[in-house]
Amino acid sequence: MSLLVLSNVTIRYDRLTAVRNVAFTLSEGEILFITGPNGAGKSSLLRAIAGVTPPAGGRIDFAGADITGRAPEDIARMGISLVPEGREVFGGLTIEENLMVGTGMHAQTRKWRSRAVSELDAVYATFPILKDRRHTQAGLLSGGQQQMLVIGRALMTNPRLIAIDEPSLGLAPNITDQVYERLIALRAHRALTLLIVEQSATRAQMVGGRVILMRGGEVLLDGDARAMGQSDAINAAYFGFGEH
Amino acid sequence: MQTLFDALSLGSLYALGALGIALIFGVMRLVNFAHGDVISFAIFALLWPSIDAVAVVFAGYLPWFLLIPFVLLMGAGLAVLSELVVFRRFRRASPATMMIASFALGFVIRYFLLMLFSSRPKSISLLPSLSQPVEILGARIPLLQVITIVATILILLALTAFLRRTRFGLEMRAAAENFTMARVLGVRANRVILGAFALSGALAAAIGLILASQTGTVDIQMGAAVMLMAFIATVIGGLGSLSGAVLAGFLLGAASVVMQTSLPIDARPFRDAFVYGAVILVLIFRPQGLIAARGTKERV
Amino acid sequence: MAARTPASAARRTIATPVILALILLGLALLAVGSGSRPFNQTMIDIFLRVVLAVGLYIFVGNSGVMSFGHIGFTCLGAYAAAWLTMPPMMKQTLLPGLPGWLMETQLPYWAGAVIAACWAAGWAALFGKILMRLSGIAASIATFAMLAMINTVYSNWETVTGATSSVVGIPIIRSIWPYLIAAVVAVFIAWGHAISRAGLALRAARDEPTAAAASGIDIARQRLIAFVISGAVMGMGGALFAHSIGVVTPDTFYLTLTFTTLSMLVVGGIGSLSGAVLGVVILSGLIQGLRWLEAGVSIGATTFAIPNGLQEITLGIVMIVILAHRPAGIMANSELNWRRARPEIPDDVPGNMPTNKE
Repeated sequence: MSLLVLSNVTIRYDRLTAVRNVAFTLSEGEILFITGPNGAGKSSLLRAIAGVTPPAGGRIDFAGADITGRAPEDIARMGISLVPEGREVFGGLTIEENLMVGTGMHAQTRKWRSRAVSELDAVYATFPILKDRRHTQAGLLSGGQQQMLVIGRALMTNPRLIAIDEPSLGLAPNITDQVYERLIALRAHRALTLLIVEQSATRAQMVGGRVILMRGGEVLLDGDARAMGQSDAINAAYFGFGEH
Repeated sequence: MQTLFDALSLGSLYALGALGIALIFGVMRLVNFAHGDVISFAIFALLWPSIDAVAVVFAGYLPWFLLIPFVLLMGAGLAVLSELVVFRRFRRASPATMMIASFALGFVIRYFLLMLFSSRPKSISLLPSLSQPVEILGARIPLLQVITIVATILILLALTAFLRRTRFGLEMRAAAENFTMARVLGVRANRVILGAFALSGALAAAIGLILASQTGTVDIQMGAAVMLMAFIATVIGGLGSLSGAVLAGFLLGAASVVMQTSLPIDARPFRDAFVYGAVILVLIFRPQGLIAARGTKERV
Repeated sequence: MAARTPASAARRTIATPVILALILLGLALLAVGSGSRPFNQTMIDIFLRVVLAVGLYIFVGNSGVMSFGHIGFTCLGAYAAAWLTMPPMMKQTLLPGLPGWLMETQLPYWAGAVIAACWAAGWAALFGKILMRLSGIAASIATFAMLAMINTVYSNWETVTGATSSVVGIPIIRSIWPYLIAAVVAVFIAWGHAISRAGLALRAARDEPTAAAASGIDIARQRLIAFVISGAVMGMGGALFAHSIGVVTPDTFYLTLTFTTLSMLVVGGIGSLSGAVLGVVILSGLIQGLRWLEAGVSIGATTFAIPNGLQEITLGIVMIVILAHRPAGIMANSELNWRRARPEIPDDVPGNMPTNKE
């Protein structure tokens, strides 16, 4: 069943078009990588899905409901969690407070508190370093720890779809491996759907799953990561050979 | 001793005012010029409309345990109303536009009060039992001053507890640091902003109550003087930083009182000019404020 | 950007100040033609506000830094005009602390206004030297502190400024022409600055601060230039303000005037010279209409009058409504031109819509 459906999505900043007529569907439990060079419109696409930058045209459906132009908090409450680029931790809040921010949306349901505690334990089990430093101000963490924190924070909202912008940016390769290992495990464990933006397709080829290649705001290729391999189209996208 | 209490009680007023401004600035980057008029409004809500020099009290005869909540409610109510009616329409506007809109709103509130009450200051005796002096360590301090300081400390403690211990407080702090990110995590933006307005309005009302009991008069301009200093305290403290705002409020209060007693007699009338000059100096050396708030740099 | 040298910019944009001057001239002729004294006085007020709004625009519009302090320069200008043009006899009783040479001086109003402008510009240079190191909201609040400083000094220096009591005896000028000339001069000064190298550099720095700094623009210096020029215009406005009513007090030049001036600029469009002028004309028209209603209108046998204070309340509401619908002001960033409003956008922004370039 398709969880997320994008039809003809166009995103503009003033008069600058960042994304043009992008369409794809994402099924429940799938891993989708969006790759492409700088300025391809990958991050804009994620921000549109999360409602941060509403699209100028087209339509986005999530779990059977039209979410185009809905407020970010409503979209978050429907089960999409965005991890934006740049590790936006709340620097003045402690790690534990950062993690708790996203649980407020479930406060209407009963047993919210006890569930929040068990979620918290689950995140701490995934990223033990966060537990050790849970009363530390998030602004004092290292880059890798902040990356773990924002992913953990997104998981605390108990999402159906998690959209992560460049989880490997600025991380040491072995830390990136750990982050991915945990994401894959979580996907199996809670039927989580993953939408990941990465600049290179290498990671997608290691992990497997589907890849969408973007350039200049448009989709160039959509297919299985391993099958795609080092095709000419990828070179064309990055280095500007070919029809563009 | 007297000087210390003067400094603390003046600082309390500035700190409470700065806090009210910083709360709203934190969540929506609005420098709220209507805040001073909320101060006046909350107190005038105790009076019947009239243009006499002696206030015609209507709710002012309430016992203190009803009077205080009534005034706080009035301030919070007006602030919430101003968000619902006015500021909600300015979500996408630039800070400069919002600032002018808030000024226009303050103008409307002030002249609304003027229309009902005229611009003459009115005498009012609120909580008269508080004006007797008490003896503390050999100095005679007006009881009201003591109460002002204690009340401010209690308010600050309560607010800290609220921000640290409750879910709503946590959401508010998160929203103040990074509004978009908080929304992405499902924090309801409009509710947080309404909450900030309610708190800020109640703080304004508390200032109004203290001012009216201290001076024994009410005046539609009474909010403006505190406001100016409170703004400055907010900026010196680091816009958006709540603890900075409080600290700077007390510092400004202390600076004013110290200059009052230490400047040569001839220069004393110009005390405020020296305070403002000191403000400019602080800004030059610490343009981000004494305690730079996180997340105030950019919101695109 | 490179093609935008001052000379070519002058040719392309000269229409704006000319149109604005013609609008102002039209208003003046209307007032003179009507032959009504109160209407004449209203027009004088409008021209004064044009001077102030345009003076404020020179700094705020071009630099993008909000200033709350400019009315301080108006205050300096107004008192300077009082010192220079009042009869020595009056000065001896009202302002005994003035130095002897100033006590003896009595200049015609226009000479006083020019000196007042220079005096205000001098202070602007001094304050600007310190304040222009700041940017953003810190700069705005520092200008606020400057205004409060000036106000505190003028409200308390008994022997030189008469403290809070009114200084009377300033020669009153009732002719509309000097005010018209001042308004037109202010418009042309603003235009001349906007197309000068300094003005272009300042606007570039406002729109693209990083790029401007990287291409060697000294932002603080360009801001200082604009600050001094706008200080001079504000000072001239203050001097004429004093001559229009003949009385000055420090509180005339404080928060209320600051905010009415700022409001007119923002409603008109903060980044537009045409906006500064039109904002004044439109809001002044509104104020006048409401005053007229306040005084009472006879319809048939009954007279309708709105209660006092409703004028300001309506004004505030109208401002909020205008800003909610046009957050960038009536003119946004456009200027009046012979054709239609032309968006003022650097030519090299990617994805820019084709503008009508000559």
